[in-house]
Amino acid sequence: MINFLKLLRFELDRFFKLYVVLIVVTIVSQLAGLVIISKLYMRRAREEIVVNQNSMESFLETYGQFSLANLTHSLWFVGPIALCIVSLLIYVFFIWYRDWFGKNTFIYRLLMLPTERLNVYLAKAMTIFTMVLGLVSLQIVLIYLEMNLVRLLVPRDFRLDLPIQGVIHSFDYFYILIPNSFIGFLISYGTGLMALFVLFTAILIERSYRLKGVFIGGLYVTASFLVFISPLLLSEIFLPRFFYPTEMILLEVFAGLIVMAGAIWLGHYLLNKKIRV
Amino acid sequence: MIEVREITKRFGRKEVLKGVSFTAEKGEITCLIGVNGVGKTTIMNAIMNLTPIQSGEILIDGQKINKRSYEKIMFIPDAITMLPQMTIQQAMQFMDDFYESWNEKRAKELLDFFKLEEGNKISNLSKGNTAKINLLLGLALDVDYLLMDEPFSGIDIFSREQIADVFTSHLVEDRGVIITTHEISDIEHLIDKAVILNDGTVVKSFYTEEMREKEGKSVIDVLREVHLQ
Repeated sequence: MINFLKLLRFELDRFFKLYVVLIVVTIVSQLAGLVIISKLYMRRAREEIVVNQNSMESFLETYGQFSLANLTHSLWFVGPIALCIVSLLIYVFFIWYRDWFGKNTFIYRLLMLPTERLNVYLAKAMTIFTMVLGLVSLQIVLIYLEMNLVRLLVPRDFRLDLPIQGVIHSFDYFYILIPNSFIGFLISYGTGLMALFVLFTAILIERSYRLKGVFIGGLYVTASFLVFISPLLLSEIFLPRFFYPTEMILLEVFAGLIVMAGAIWLGHYLLNKKIRV
Repeated sequence: MIEVREITKRFGRKEVLKGVSFTAEKGEITCLIGVNGVGKTTIMNAIMNLTPIQSGEILIDGQKINKRSYEKIMFIPDAITMLPQMTIQQAMQFMDDFYESWNEKRAKELLDFFKLEEGNKISNLSKGNTAKINLLLGLALDVDYLLMDEPFSGIDIFSREQIADVFTSHLVEDRGVIITTHEISDIEHLIDKAVILNDGTVVKSFYTEEMREKEGKSVIDVLREVHLQ
């Protein structure tokens, strides 16, 4: 356990600089975006009401009230989130491949540590997972900040104060990242973690069998996906309307756990028996 | 004792090792000699479980390699296996964090011996100094066996001399060492046992001293004979 924690800290340290960049870009972009968008909105309001002599009601009818949804639909908000998602997706691969292809082949060292090799696998997975949770937490804090900032920037009459759930639901896919229930959280992050383990194991298949491994890894990912959606396939194709929704969720959780356990077991086996430096 | 028994290894269709067997004892320096591509590094990797073998068996003091074995045996590859952005001090700290067998006192002693500064970044070191740090990170572990892959390859003459001095010092004494080389002349005087590899098999294995005394041949003489056959 202690070695796992040491490895986790070590892996977190290795990603730290890039992570700080992602955090700074997200904060700056979203806050600057909010200031710019709200200023533009208020300038337009001034033009319509003061210069064009339109009433406030007709302005609000045409342009609507300003809310955080104006921000969440803009590139200022979506851009850094997309950047973080893409960076972390790339990092899923980079976290392994850099140890083989870096200037100094660090994988020798990692595989020769007097600890279970599975700890290396789990520490790398937990690094990605921690980073994701960190960025999502940052986003929640940022939304609170933005909710307060918008009150300073836009007068009450022009403003629609959305509750945090409203803000989250104003952005199409945000509810996946920030679910509104514990079950939702388990489903989103459980599925994410499972996908991460499957990808890690596919990478290890490639690292063990090289070119042949690309093909086998592809097959493995496909097979894992099919096992994961097997309850859905079963209920759609063979037994329509046979299961209650709660039963379906339980079956899905079970299928997900099988895929996750299979990925970890296979990763453990490959690291001990098949891996090549 | 490290026992390598009848190991075979294929890369695709190419059979690199065709039943290699040899032993390496504690307190002896065993040298694997062969031209480039003969499979010396593959044997080292196989001993450390860094590459799978198709058949055969490798035992370290009678046991198959497991996580605890890495406190007992260490491999020093031909390139340093620490992150280039680390300083020497950070690399030493990393070793200290993970290995119970890390001997800080010996590490400092080696640092002095090689005249290196702890604060230097690994990526800024010359090739010779990088090789020395690589060696230091292995030698400063209180392990029974050390595997070294071409420790003299591509480094300047003064660094070679310094590294060669290590072999005759207390830093290596009593340990079992397996060293590979394709340039035997550099280390002939240091080794106890030679294992000559050719075409994926061990063609000859002998004690150098015994060979000199009984047959009056140096390692190079024996190598010449083997290659002329």
